[in-house]
Amino acid sequence: MMTIRRRLLLLLLPALAILMLLGGVVDYWIAVATTRNAYDRALANTAFALAANIRIENQRLRFSPPDAGSALDGSTIYAITGPDRALISGTSTLSGSAPSASRAVGRATFWDIGLQGQRWRVASILTPTALGPVQITVAETLERRARTQRVMLLGKLLVDFAELDLTLLLVWIAVYYGLRPLDQLTEQVERHSARQLQRFDEARVPGELRSVIVAFNRVLELLHDAAQAQQRFVADAAHQMRTPVAGLLAQLELLQHEPRATAVATQLGAVQRGIQQLARSANQLLALARAEPVSALHENFKPVALKLLVEQLVERYVDRADKAGIDLGADTLAASVLADAGLLEDLLENLIDNALKYTPSGGHVTVRCGPDARSAFLEVEDDGPGIPEAERGRVRERFYRLPGSSGIGCGLGLAIVDEIVRVHGAAFSIGGGSQGRGARMRIRFP
Amino acid sequence: MRILLIEDDELVADAVVRGLSLAGFTVDHAPSAERGRAALGAEHFDLAVVDIGLPGADGLALLGALRSEGKAMPVLILTARDTLADKIRAFDLGADDFLMKPFEQAELAARCRALIRRANLSPSGIVRLGRLTIDLSGHQLQIDSQSVELTRREWLVLESLAHHIGRIVTKERLMQALAGWEQDLTPNAVETHISRLRAKLGPAAVIRTIRGLGYRLDEVGEAPP
Repeated sequence: MMTIRRRLLLLLLPALAILMLLGGVVDYWIAVATTRNAYDRALANTAFALAANIRIENQRLRFSPPDAGSALDGSTIYAITGPDRALISGTSTLSGSAPSASRAVGRATFWDIGLQGQRWRVASILTPTALGPVQITVAETLERRARTQRVMLLGKLLVDFAELDLTLLLVWIAVYYGLRPLDQLTEQVERHSARQLQRFDEARVPGELRSVIVAFNRVLELLHDAAQAQQRFVADAAHQMRTPVAGLLAQLELLQHEPRATAVATQLGAVQRGIQQLARSANQLLALARAEPVSALHENFKPVALKLLVEQLVERYVDRADKAGIDLGADTLAASVLADAGLLEDLLENLIDNALKYTPSGGHVTVRCGPDARSAFLEVEDDGPGIPEAERGRVRERFYRLPGSSGIGCGLGLAIVDEIVRVHGAAFSIGGGSQGRGARMRIRFP
Repeated sequence: MRILLIEDDELVADAVVRGLSLAGFTVDHAPSAERGRAALGAEHFDLAVVDIGLPGADGLALLGALRSEGKAMPVLILTARDTLADKIRAFDLGADDFLMKPFEQAELAARCRALIRRANLSPSGIVRLGRLTIDLSGHQLQIDSQSVELTRREWLVLESLAHHIGRIVTKERLMQALAGWEQDLTPNAVETHISRLRAKLGPAAVIRTIRGLGYRLDEVGEAPP
């Protein structure tokens, strides 16, 4: 769809241009009429001036032409005729052209004629003398007025053009700034990630957009409620599943210590592994649900000290690593990221759990964290079998397991990591270990 | 050592009571916060193991009530909920430890032992750890009742570790403990003192190195096999 800004400009600019053009045409006609009147008056004045040069000598009308360089230049001709219509002085062809209606004393009459292949403007007056009225006719070519009109038109057009440009510029600026609130709202919405379900401030939105924002806020509220409901559900589900599993495992552990259990030790071990697998799967599914965008809320994001987190988790897994004959260690530098601490714990648990699961006895697992060029990183490296390059993309898929991997695990660990990484806008790379074997899982925070 | 378990799930409660009894504790069981509070008011317990998800008042409410009554006994919170918020609230309310279900019996027993040991530490100043007897106020170490001579720096290291038996003590912390006694302290110096201390303790106790983090004093045989 066309942007509102373009739409407004498309509607406003041509209309404005046409208006300005019409204005120009009217201005032009006013200019033409004004020049004509001014020139006509000047022409009539010339005729009145000539009238002053008429005198009576011996009962005869005499006319002495004015000096050259006065009102009568090359482009002006005249004719003076007596009461008997005889030419007293001037150009004879001009004297006969007067329409008969023009013979009124004191007032000038004007008309156009063609003479010597040119257009002329003619002014004529009757001036009374003792011997009767004398007609004085003066004509000038239209060339002079045309020149003036051309200059006026050009000037007018230049002014109009500048006015048009300025108007268009002002309109463009007005439209641009008038729609700034829209841009600001767009920016706000863009910055509003789907997981940060905060309401927009309705008071800080222009009236036209308020109802849109009110509706938008309602949707956000619904999403927020849904996210909270999902979080509650996950917590409840966790409780409902873990308690009986905890009971079963605790009972089983006691059973295994009883003397009569030695006879069925293998079976008990299998049952225990099965329940542990069940517990792990339930945990993993819940962790995955927790990490999903709909339930991971940005309002839970707080600064998390990575060094402390790594130290706590390494401490938690040290005994398990010991049992498996793996040297679990840390290599930490202080770094802080804005994150959901619970989810980061899930993430690191899964990475460490994976590393411990696939690293054989005698191996090493190292958890690292620290600042990097952008912000901070988390890393878990092992010297186990590693992940073949071709599989590094697929292992992040849910329930995907490396071909030939042993029975432990349900294939959700890296999918959870991937999901949590995405919620945090971080990058997750799977590489080879630094000693040429093993795997290195690296999370880089934005 | 007497423990009160406050847990409503019968399967879990039965197993924990028997498991902790096997580990040498005397265990009483209360199925609700109210019954638990009554028991704690009537008799002395060295430790309470409290489940969060109880019918009626939950475990955290009980913990809050205990602490506001001024009861300082150690409390270990058990929970099937793994939200970080619960964990943070539990520690804010004064929980001493936090264990997620499902857990291993050995782990629970080890944590109970560590909590009780830590709680009993301050009055007597004596820590017993297998064949070791560490007299924190008298600055004395005995192995099988035989006094062992330690240098001032070895003693400072052992003291720091003994205050946190079963927990990792970071190298930074050990360096801080030694800082008053040694100028230009290097991480290597800590390692030197640790290895001398190990030599003196012999097989009676284990100081584990956790690579990149620090050290942990374990009782021999106490760490899971």
